[in-house]
Amino acid sequence: MPSMPVGLTRDLPAGRVMHAEVDEVDVVVWRAANGEIAAWNNRCPHRGMALSHGFVRGNSLACLYHGWHYERSGRCSYIPAHPDLEPPATIHATKYAIAEEGGVIWVAIDGDASGSENDLDPLRSMIVDASEETLLTAASATALGGGLPDAGPEGQFSFGADVVRLLCNALGENRTQVTVLASPALPVPRRRALSRWCEAMRRLAEKGGAS
Amino acid sequence: MSLDYAKNDWYAVADIFCLKDGPRQTRLLGTDLTVTGPADTATVTDAEGNRYPAQLRFDHVWTTLGDAPRTLFEIPQGDEPGRRRVPCGVVRVRCSPLRAVENFLDIAHFPFVHTDILGSEPQTEVRPYNVEIRDETDEVWATQVKFFQPQAARSAGDGIITEYDYRVPAPTTAVLYKTCPPKPEAQDVIAIFVQPVSETECDVWPWMALYDDESTFSEMVQFQHEIFVQDRSILENQRPVKLPLDPRMEIPMRADLTSVAYRRWLKKHGAFYGALTEDA
Amino acid sequence: MTAFTLYNYVLSGNCYKIRLMASLLGLDYETIAVNFYPGFEHRSDAMLALNPAGTLPVLTAGDTVLTDTQAMLGWLALNHDPSRQWYPAADPLLGPEVLQWLAFSGRLTNSAGLARLHAMLNWPVDGEAARRAAVRDLRELELILTDRVFEGRTWLVGDRPTIADIACFPYVALSPDAGLEHDGYPAIRNWLYAVRSLPGFTTMPGIHELHELREPADG
Repeated sequence: MPSMPVGLTRDLPAGRVMHAEVDEVDVVVWRAANGEIAAWNNRCPHRGMALSHGFVRGNSLACLYHGWHYERSGRCSYIPAHPDLEPPATIHATKYAIAEEGGVIWVAIDGDASGSENDLDPLRSMIVDASEETLLTAASATALGGGLPDAGPEGQFSFGADVVRLLCNALGENRTQVTVLASPALPVPRRRALSRWCEAMRRLAEKGGAS
Repeated sequence: MSLDYAKNDWYAVADIFCLKDGPRQTRLLGTDLTVTGPADTATVTDAEGNRYPAQLRFDHVWTTLGDAPRTLFEIPQGDEPGRRRVPCGVVRVRCSPLRAVENFLDIAHFPFVHTDILGSEPQTEVRPYNVEIRDETDEVWATQVKFFQPQAARSAGDGIITEYDYRVPAPTTAVLYKTCPPKPEAQDVIAIFVQPVSETECDVWPWMALYDDESTFSEMVQFQHEIFVQDRSILENQRPVKLPLDPRMEIPMRADLTSVAYRRWLKKHGAFYGALTEDA
Repeated sequence: MTAFTLYNYVLSGNCYKIRLMASLLGLDYETIAVNFYPGFEHRSDAMLALNPAGTLPVLTAGDTVLTDTQAMLGWLALNHDPSRQWYPAADPLLGPEVLQWLAFSGRLTNSAGLARLHAMLNWPVDGEAARRAAVRDLRELELILTDRVFEGRTWLVGDRPTIADIACFPYVALSPDAGLEHDGYPAIRNWLYAVRSLPGFTTMPGIHELHELREPADG
């Protein structure tokens, strides 16, 4: 299965945790104090608690329920209820491949993860209650400053010299996570305008109903 | 069928407060019911007009859908004079009723979920305690459970070592007996009566019978609400939603002996409503 | 001598706004627990005499009786904030912005707050309508907070936290209680984290401690 874009680098600083969904699998994505990111199955093997509610200490992710610590390798390294116990090696998180490229975080459930080449800047990440097909159609029908975009391949839309690209991660039949990229170094007012174009695109896509 | 065992237990479906302004529409084991007061002569009917037995016990109206219901358990401390009895209303949780019970039996989460109230880092160790299934009553019991608590009860001052006994008298009820600061020879009683709405959703009725002459009724209710709703955000985020009874699916530690005994008890009795088994 | 008395319910997001603001200001105050649920005590004759609107919280201090949460936040900032930064009321640009966000916080109470009451305590309201309104409000907040990211700013108004942030924080943070997760709102997630990291921050049920900020356990 290919890598999916799950969020922006800027939205996951060191020491932070987030939830993602890839190929209908619940995933926790987190960044250690040393800056390294990891993607794991979002389930603590103890009592099934979502690790995405957990907290980072140093280079370990701890589960919120009982504080079990997991180091970057995925191995459980500390169980607070039994502080002197060396946790058995069988207790570990299930790891997935992760890559970070161009300010976007990519996760693959099977195989390696890699980002897509581009020289665009990340703009924002959002969820649309519509299929990828519906939202891309809506994007080509949504104007910015009076003009419709020129639609290019791979979710790319141009407004004159400014480019927007929509990277899609299907969360369900009619639900898509969209990572939005835009031309680099745009002035802030332009970025705000493009962000509002995304809102308009979403409104149109969601009005469209079932794709 | 997961309902076979569940049908013959009694479940709380209302308390003495909620029937005052009219009947309560609710759902038990997937069946829609109407509970009509007053609480001491309550009637329970379904959409077809069938009537189910009702009894007022521990300040709640209990009913059963089964033809051969088991006897409802006793909690004698509830009738002791001098105790304050505190029905706390109902909180809905999207979780398996069995997960709700198991969370109530667990203490290792105190420093992380009830931080600075029922537990604090670094005092996270769970020392060995005793677990048994009492044959006479066929109930799961955990005794000699000890934990250091910063603010164990509204009646506690500074932190104390709290001693607990836990009891599971029925699959969706858990009772805890804990150190009672104003009266050390007695135990405070706190219970949750879990009403299974479906296998993946429940209405939880917390109830207490305590010695506490200082706190107002509101203060005691709010303390219980605070603790329970802290657990709610854990309960709604456990997967799989149904409680796995296959021991290979989730990994217990020695601190989890009570939950291990509980899951084993459920499996032995075929109490599968809200559970995930190899057959389900 | 405590700064004020708060008529309080531990699970109320509106009451929490005041508890949180008081904690951030380092204030001592008295609490009176009102049996909001299951006793509906806020509708009792005694409570209605104090607050005819029948809502919680109520704040009293001397002869002052305040029954609106936004007013209480203003009172706390104007009377107990020596830095004069939590509510820049006299600033002709920032002052009105704060007022706009306080109004937005009222919308959140009626959308995300109501959706939560329905999901958790079976409040007899249209839960689906409340959830739809909450999604609309969360998306609006996400849009503005995304603007802030472009602008290199963290807080809703100006360059530091104000009562605007505190007013909007609780029901946004608690929206998962109604099944409204924050997956689609990365800017909101980061803003929530900034609020939770403030010195003097205090939690309420449904909003967990930032355990990462505590001393690590041995091991």
